[in-house]
Order: sequence, then C-alpha cells, then structure tokens
Amino acid sequence: MAEPKKIIIDTDPGIDDAMAIFVALRSPEITVIGLTTIFGNVYTTLATRNALHLLEVAGRSDIPVAEGSHVSYMKSTKLQVRDFAHGMNGLGNQNFPQPKSKPIEKSASEYLVEQANLYPGEVTVVALGPLTNIALAIQLDPTFTKKIGQIVLLGGAFAIDGNVNPAAETNIFGDPEAADIVFTSGADVLAIGMNVTRQVIMKSKFFFFILCSSTLVIFGQFVTHHIHDSIYAYTYNMFVDNDLTNLAKSDGIFAKYLCKILDHYFSYHRDAYNIKGIYLHDPTALLATVNSSLMTYTEGVVRVQTTGITRGLTLFFNKRNRFNEATEWSNKRTVKVAVTVDAPAVVKLVTERLM
Amino acid sequence: MDSPPLVSYCNGGLSQKIIIDTDPGIDDSMAIMMAFQTPNLDILGLTTTFGNVSTKDATRNALLLCEIAGRLDVPVAEGSSEPLKGGEPEIQDFIHGSDGLGNLHLPPPKLKKVEKSASEFLVDKVSEYPGEVSILALGPLTNLALAIKRDSSFVNKVKRVVILGGAFFALGNINPAAEANIYGDPEAADIVFTSGANIDVIGINITTQVKMSDDDLDELRKSKGKHAQFLCNSSKFYRDWHVKSDGVYGVFLHDPVCFVALIRPDLFVFKKGVVRVETQGLCVGHTLMDQGLKRWNSDNPWTGYSPVSVAWTVNVEKVLNYIKTVLMTP
Repeated sequence: MAEPKKIIIDTDPGIDDAMAIFVALRSPEITVIGLTTIFGNVYTTLATRNALHLLEVAGRSDIPVAEGSHVSYMKSTKLQVRDFAHGMNGLGNQNFPQPKSKPIEKSASEYLVEQANLYPGEVTVVALGPLTNIALAIQLDPTFTKKIGQIVLLGGAFAIDGNVNPAAETNIFGDPEAADIVFTSGADVLAIGMNVTRQVIMKSKFFFFILCSSTLVIFGQFVTHHIHDSIYAYTYNMFVDNDLTNLAKSDGIFAKYLCKILDHYFSYHRDAYNIKGIYLHDPTALLATVNSSLMTYTEGVVRVQTTGITRGLTLFFNKRNRFNEATEWSNKRTVKVAVTVDAPAVVKLVTERLM
Repeated sequence: MDSPPLVSYCNGGLSQKIIIDTDPGIDDSMAIMMAFQTPNLDILGLTTTFGNVSTKDATRNALLLCEIAGRLDVPVAEGSSEPLKGGEPEIQDFIHGSDGLGNLHLPPPKLKKVEKSASEFLVDKVSEYPGEVSILALGPLTNLALAIKRDSSFVNKVKRVVILGGAFFALGNINPAAEANIYGDPEAADIVFTSGANIDVIGINITTQVKMSDDDLDELRKSKGKHAQFLCNSSKFYRDWHVKSDGVYGVFLHDPVCFVALIRPDLFVFKKGVVRVETQGLCVGHTLMDQGLKRWNSDNPWTGYSPVSVAWTVNVEKVLNYIKTVLMTP
C-alpha cells in the first residue's frame, strides 16, 4: 500500500465535521497531520475547543490544532453561525468537559503555509468550512498554491439551489471573497458541492440500528425513540450479513459518541428538509481524499458572486460555450467539481469506519 | 406530423387576445409570423424594445413584418430605448445583422407606429380587456416593468405573461451567469418576476433544446409556407452565427418556442417557484429560482414573493413539428 496521504482538516465542528474527523482518524489511506479551525457551524473559538475535544475523545491529542481566523477575509465580524443545525455548542447541545489540550501558537494560515513548505506537493487540505484560512494562506505565501498538494473543499451548489438561501451554500456564503480567491488561485482544487452531498443520506432507520445497537444499554432511552424506525433497517441488507457481527466486536467509541450528538442533527433535517436521515456533507468530502473513485468530476472555472441577493452563488463554467466577448470567467484557472457520487458506497464506508 | 388542428388549441376555439413585446430579431420574426398565421388569435398590437436591435430599429422591423404579412391593422407601439437604469443598451447585431433581419436591408416601411408608448399601450389594452390579454415578452422586460410602474393594477388585469428569458440551472448566453434578455435589463426583469402577475418563463435551458437543423431550414425553403422564403433568407446570417458560435448547423428557435408555450402550454412541463434576478456584481442578470427544496430557517430575498411558472421540460419533437407546421402553412 502507498504511503498514507498527509491531510490537514480545516474545520468548524459541527456534527458532520465530527463524523468526518472520526472517519479520517479511522482511515489507513490518510494520516491526519493537523486540524485548523474556522467559524461556520460555530464561532472559531468554539470550533477550536470542539476540535481539541474531538481529538481527546479519539485519544489523539498528539495531533496539533491551529486556530484560524475569527473574521472573514474582508475582516467582517458579522459572521453567520448555524447553531440551529448543530446546537449551541456545535455538538448537539451535549455538555462536554473543557478539553485539557491547547491549540498551537501558530495561526491556521501560518500552519498551512508551514506544512506546505515542509512537505511540498504532499499535503492535502480538506476544507470543511468557509475558506478564509486557505485564502489567508495564499495571501501569506503566494507559492502556497503550488506547494499544497490538493485542496479538497466542501462547498458550493452547482446547478442546484443553495442551503442558506436559494442562491448560496453555507460554506461559500460564510466567506464569498475568500472562496473566489481559492477557486481562481490556480491550486489543485477539488470542490464537492451540495449537488453531490445532498445525494448522500444516512437514513435514521438504518443508521441507528447499526450504530446504536451496540450502545443500547447506555443510551437505552434515547434509542427507544428510534426503535420502531430500526425495524425498517432489515430492508437495508447491505450490512445485515457481515457487518452486524463485526459490530458486536467493535469498541464503538465513535459510534457511542455520535449517538449522543446526532439526535439534534436528525431533528434539524426532519424540520428543514422533511427527510428521515442526515446529509453526510463533511464525511463525503473527506472520503474524496480516501478514495477518489467514489465520485466523478468535471473541470471548469468557478467564480463566486460576492455582492447582491445572490452573494455566495458559485457559478461553474465548463469552457465549452463560446461567448461574443471576454467574460469574468475567461482566462481563469480551472478547478475540478464533483458531479456524481456512489452514495451507497459512501454511506457504507462511513458506517464501517465509525463502527 | 401529429400536431392537431391549430384552431382547437387556441383558447378552445375562442379568440385569444395577445400583445407581443419584441425586438425583431430573426427568431422574433419567426414567432411574429407564426402569430400572424395562427387562426383565432386576436393580435392587439406589437410593442417594441431594444435587444437584438435598437428600439428604433425594432419598431421599423415590427412595421415591416406587419406590411410583409399584410396585417396593416396591427398597431405598433414603440417602447423604451434604454433599460430602467439608463445607458446605451448593448445590441446583438453580430447575431441578427445590422438591420436585425439578417442584413436583408429592406426599404423602410410605409406604416407608422402609434402615438402611444409601449407601456401606455400595454396598460390601456389590458385595462380595456381586463383578464383577457396575454403578453408574449420576447426581449428585455423594460416595457413591462414600466407598465407595472405606471399602473399597479396591471399585474391583476393581465391574463398571462409568457416570457422568453433567463437560464435556469444552466449556463447563460451572454456569459456563464446571464441570458441576453434578462441581462438587457436586470432591474426590469426582477420587477416583473416579483410583480405577482401570472407569469410563465421559458429559459434558454428550454429553448436551446429546440433546433431547426439545416435540413429543416431546407424543408422550409422548399415549402409553400406563406412567409417561408422571407424567413429563410433572413435566417442565413443567424444560421451562420450559430455555426461560428456554437458549432450548431441550424438555428435555435428561442422566440418561436416561447410562442408555442403561449399557445400550447401542454407541450411543456412547468415548475413553480419564486424567481429573482441578480442586479449586481459578476452574476448580474442571473435568474435564480427557489425550487422549494428546503424550509428556510429565516427570511431571504426570495421570501414573500409570488411564485412564477418556470418551464422545466419541453416536448422537443412536438414543439419543433408545431413550429414547422405553422411556418409551412401557405
């Protein structure tokens, strides 16, 4: 097997961020060399706290956490955080103890630049929040775009409505100016948009049966709420043969933890989208680095609208159409954008790795 | 061809009143000639706008088309020469020729435009026949926005507005973000889309599916269609631009498709949603529809407006056949 890919996760944990981080720590194909934090699901300070906390839960406090920007690229402090989706503390309103570990001295952008210089061409950044830190890294060191291996970002909504409003997806809306810088930077960028992650749904019926059956005793009352759903899990035969037996053997640290924090996230999806399940936005983006064949991609120029009612809109141009005059998309560097996803395989992989 | 008799679909055989707001334009000419060829269609008038040509030239061409069709009874009212925010509009002479009719350079018309402005004409006719008049809007939406500003009851009195414009979840044709008609006056388009009128919108995601190939054009030329020769001559320039620009050997039927949507909405599937138009920044002119996929957490710029019907799919074969049948009718 090839040497594991070095990964830095830029993150705003966040419930599905927590899932992505846990999946990453359980993936032998990659080595998480550090976490950098950003506002988004929560404010940056809390994101840092949550990142340290999640690493403690995983017993991986050896992994450094670098705190990112508290303001947007344009220095705006009017940030939108989404406590309605992730709970006030970003992790489903559970009262977790303060982490014992501390973030490193360096800022996120300084850490990103340092690591890119240390391992030129080898580091993949998985950006799960607004792209402020990445844009700041590019500002700090223009050669960052050449030295960073790849930037896999969760963001944008390509040829589909957004999720903040009809125009914009959350992460891009969080810092549109930064996003436009990253998309047009010339770095090797792979964008996983909502058009793809919306297809990756972990059904509550299925998920709770698999994940929580190992924690029934501890969280009995909680699981009872979902127990009639789990009957339907039998219709999902993907795991019934192999993985249920494995489950019994699994230590279930992550499974137990996630069962605590996911309830809030399920309720949010039920209210907002009328689905019994959750979108696996962040884990899907993470898995693109583990196995790129889970998705298909197209290439073109992406620009981000930074003003007006469609602020945060990502507009992809495939370079096939010809226009009479040069446009704002002309002569800009291309990026890769995910088009299709093997959703069942992603759900299966996420579940396997979390067990 | 399987298109049913034309008459039966025009308002169940009853006469349907329409006004065409237009910037002719080669494919506009096709749509207008189709309207003239359609029985039981009471064409109350043509109103003109800039876009494919300047408004002045659009008026001249509209009058010429009335003369060619022998429809001297149809009034032509001249519209605004510039978008709401002012400034010289961009003219697409590279698509339609410097005269807008494929460089045929016809002698000037003898007919004269009416005194009223387009927006006055629209308001007056819609007030005269409340609930009866449909408007086919084939260019930038300046005149309609001015009509709405002139008379707030316009939106309730107009029966239906069928708009050619926008690109929904697809690339534009001016740039990746914007389609030409909406780009021509984004402020006006946003006023019209959010006005609450009964609106059907046909974007280029629909119209670029319906092509008249070189073979189809040949068939039209050899037909006894009343205006076939004129339209084929006029289309040469337009066709050559399609080859150069899109590698398409033929022509897109933007305006005729929109006309068919007015007469035969059954050949389309529509989806309802609030549509807003971006008026700033690099995506100016972008049409964005709330598809209703999510219950929004808080108000956004789409909240509280009436939805419009956005054409979602088109029966390409039947629409093309319908257009050919009408254009080849002697």
